[in-house]
Amino acid sequence: MEALAASRPRGRRWTNVLERPSVLASVLISPAVIFILALVGGPLALAVYLSFTNAIGGSLHGRWIGLGNFRHEWTNPAFQDAVWHTFLFTVISQAIVLVVAGLLAHALLKKFPGKWLLRFLILLPWAAPLPLSLMGWTWIFDTTYSIINWTLQHLHLVSTVSPPQWLAQPRLAMGSVIAVHAWRIIPFATVIFLAGLASIPKEVDDAAAIDGATGLRKFWSVSLPLQLPIATVALLFGIVFTATDMAVVYILTNGGPPPSNSTEMVTTWAYKTGIESGSLGAGAAISLFLLPVLAVVAIGMLIFARRAEVT
Amino acid sequence: MDAVLRGFREKGLSYLIVGPFAIVLAFPFYVMVITAFKQQRDFYDLSHSPYWFHKGPTLSNARFLFDETQYTTWLRNTAIIGVVVVLITLVLAVPAGYALARLSGKLGQSVGVGIFLTYLVPPTLLFLPLFSVITQLDRQTSHLLHFHLRGSIWSLVLVYPSFTVPFATWLLMGFFKTIPRELEDAALIDGASRLGTLVRIVFPISVPGILTVVIFSFSLVVNEFVYAFTFISASSHRTLSTGVYTDLIRGDLPQWGAIMVASLIPSIPLALLYNTFLDRFIAGFTGGAFR
Amino acid sequence: MASSDDPSRREGRYDRRELIRRAGAAGISIGVAGSGFGQAFYGPLRFKGRWLKGDLTIIQWAHFVPAYDKWFTDVWSKNWGQKNDVQVKVDLILNTLLPARAAAEAASGSGHDLFFNLSPQAQFEDQVINHAEIVQEVQRKVGKIGGLGKRATYNPKTKKWFAFADNYVPDPVVWRHDLWNGVGIAPSTWENVRKAAPKLKAAGHPIGIGQSAELDSNMALMAFMMCFGAYVQDEKHRVTVKSKHTIEAVKFMADIFKSGETDEIFGWTPASNNNFLYSGKGSMILNAISATRTPEDLGLPFADQLYIYPIPKGPVRRMGLEHVMGSYSIWKFAQNIPAAKKFMADLEINYKDAFVASKFYNFPTFPGALPFKRIQKLAAADTHKPRGKYQILTTIAQKYTVNPGYPGYTNAAFSEVFGKFLIPKMFAQVSQGKMSAADAVSAADHDFRDIYTKWRKLGKI
Repeated sequence: MEALAASRPRGRRWTNVLERPSVLASVLISPAVIFILALVGGPLALAVYLSFTNAIGGSLHGRWIGLGNFRHEWTNPAFQDAVWHTFLFTVISQAIVLVVAGLLAHALLKKFPGKWLLRFLILLPWAAPLPLSLMGWTWIFDTTYSIINWTLQHLHLVSTVSPPQWLAQPRLAMGSVIAVHAWRIIPFATVIFLAGLASIPKEVDDAAAIDGATGLRKFWSVSLPLQLPIATVALLFGIVFTATDMAVVYILTNGGPPPSNSTEMVTTWAYKTGIESGSLGAGAAISLFLLPVLAVVAIGMLIFARRAEVT
Repeated sequence: MDAVLRGFREKGLSYLIVGPFAIVLAFPFYVMVITAFKQQRDFYDLSHSPYWFHKGPTLSNARFLFDETQYTTWLRNTAIIGVVVVLITLVLAVPAGYALARLSGKLGQSVGVGIFLTYLVPPTLLFLPLFSVITQLDRQTSHLLHFHLRGSIWSLVLVYPSFTVPFATWLLMGFFKTIPRELEDAALIDGASRLGTLVRIVFPISVPGILTVVIFSFSLVVNEFVYAFTFISASSHRTLSTGVYTDLIRGDLPQWGAIMVASLIPSIPLALLYNTFLDRFIAGFTGGAFR
Repeated sequence: MASSDDPSRREGRYDRRELIRRAGAAGISIGVAGSGFGQAFYGPLRFKGRWLKGDLTIIQWAHFVPAYDKWFTDVWSKNWGQKNDVQVKVDLILNTLLPARAAAEAASGSGHDLFFNLSPQAQFEDQVINHAEIVQEVQRKVGKIGGLGKRATYNPKTKKWFAFADNYVPDPVVWRHDLWNGVGIAPSTWENVRKAAPKLKAAGHPIGIGQSAELDSNMALMAFMMCFGAYVQDEKHRVTVKSKHTIEAVKFMADIFKSGETDEIFGWTPASNNNFLYSGKGSMILNAISATRTPEDLGLPFADQLYIYPIPKGPVRRMGLEHVMGSYSIWKFAQNIPAAKKFMADLEINYKDAFVASKFYNFPTFPGALPFKRIQKLAAADTHKPRGKYQILTTIAQKYTVNPGYPGYTNAAFSEVFGKFLIPKMFAQVSQGKMSAADAVSAADHDFRDIYTKWRKLGKI
């Protein structure tokens, strides 16, 4: 880009063309588009093709069976459970993230002694390589050595013989994976919110102060709307991280505990079906189920973000 | 007097909010630190407090990690992958994000949404066809350049931008939108070209946003594990997560202490780095350009 | 770029040069060696008349005994490579990630020459060679393959050996002698286990048989079923799970759970039942001998009290499964099939070192490769207390170990039942009181039939 700009005197015509917003936009955007299309386009098409076949065991071919896989999974209780769990997992963890990150960002905007250290502690979960920090969590939730249970037992809050099993009892397991997931997204969301807050021009603040808006009212009528575009983007990424990610669930519970596989997500179910059990076609179908749903959510949120920005 | 009191109240409120959350968020790291320096027999002992050492701290876990495994190689590989992927991401995503924020018409918008949608494809199964793509490319590179793409860290460098670029593009789009248009208009009126405005005015004030993208792309790379596990098998090309999972979890016996050391070593400096960046980019947002 | 900063590759190149140098010293130029004239200098052909050369790449799990990996990589593979003029490269991977890696290699048509798995992967049958030749070669040297190995790696429908199993791991019961003594019973029958369970739990030492989505639970529960005469499939690979035997087994296990276990068994990973034992809390688990080796290594206070037994006897019989079935497959697209075949055959024929290096974990699939008598002798020499405790492994291996899917073969449909952890699910539904035993078994039967129909349609069973 710099080179282009520097060569202006020689390439007058070039720059003239580049002065047209639509041309410049295409030039700026095409490298990213080409790269992504080249890399992901083919594989994605292949995955779509596979979902219509009965391909097995890592072979990328199979007999065309139309919507067979989709129909079969649609009526499969295990898949239905997985969809429901994914929904709960996403919505609850994101709700927690929004509230906590919002609070933290507002609090961190002010100056106070020790802020640097506290912020460091808050950033830690995002800095730790996820697969490794999850090993830390498996140790914290260990059926026998759980530090949480040790603490609760010594406070005489739970039984010593059968303490709560954080990853083994259906409700607790769901709670645990949600908590861990929120734990790792909160720093990300906080940073985005901080940036959003910081970007609100001082004039707006001053104007609000002159109008007599303070505290909560200022937050609702001034800070919040101004933050909406960036907050929406943060939320959108949070949702996508959650719905398409399988690290947390795969490593902590592997979809368990039985009987209803209470933390089975669409992603882990697709992995189990397609990779671990060898029904590749069905696995591809399962993993693609989410795509249209997420697409609708994403587009809806993007439109919302745009509207919010116009006002 | 009143102001001082209010200051106290505000500060107190901040501590009240930030303090507990910071403790909760950092709690696993406390457990990791303790476990990392515990003797193995000590943490299999239920009769003593898990919050502190009973038999005294030991460096044996750390020593095991550095002497018996290729930990430093994993660290280096992860760092190389992270840095190169971040560079690729910036080159592709900064212009794209700007175009989406400012310039595009209807077509551009749908392209933008399209970019975003690729991000929705779960890697759960995409790794299979992607691995085939890498293998195809490998046939070319090994033939022409005598260089094996498949199984090397460069295969990850090639694949990771597939999720960092959409992510970064959209994040940057959000940032570019917060930059007042008037700033650019003024430059345009002064006779600067659009591209010149972009390079001289817009990018410099976007440094905070770019830093955010750097941080987040890097951590996305470090967190990734499906591709890392399936693409890499040679020990000298392993990343942090694959290395730890392969060499420190033996069947049904994880080396807890060494795993915690392995996890802490990258986390703490990265968090420090992020924290420093954070100051810089918040300063950028509140500083000169907006006043 | 990458190749220059990759030490292993550099090392590899050096070794190759070294090999060529060696070949040169023997009077062979590179060209001659490459064109196959070298045969004359290296004596008779070792395997099916092929001249071996080039690289051999292997991927396998990081063994629970790290010393085994060292032996396999640095001793066995190195020596074998030098003897056969093949550069052997061994990559290790976490066992739970093997399926993903296998799928990726199969899909891309490129990968390691020898692919290891903890259970034979019938679903890759079309992508692998027929391993019959290796089986025959080993049989010629050491005698017949064990029934266990054959049933795990042979598909009678397609008449194909889809893998070569070099080893299996017996799955004993590991129990605390002191604790059981305290209640005056030993876990020799499941009835005894049921009787002791409430007393042990009351003493703060519950039983630990997993009902979770993981390998150990799968194995333990399927073995438990067999003791009650309940099977997933029959010898003709028809689903037979819906039987009064299964219902009885599921109920029985629910009893054991309610009186003698805690909820932790629903969340176990392969490591948790070991942890449970190491904490001093657990009184009994079903696990490979990793569960006794670690306490020995760590010097845990009760290590001497950990006894090994065959699986308890059920109302119908005493029958257990292997804990893992180590098997290698050779892809059709493998670069060095001849070397892979010979490597496998040689490894199996000389299994004693592997057995010792694995600390008695790996048993050869061909009983003739290391006769049980010799195993007994080696086990008797182990000095850990109680002395000679590992000798019982031979009895377990000889009498009480069959393949998953017994009395049928370990086929692709069975693997899917296994891979989706449907058996633990069935048990847990009843143990947690969510379903009656009859309903849970019917539901499982429905799921199994679905899976079996699919694979039957694909012509694999």
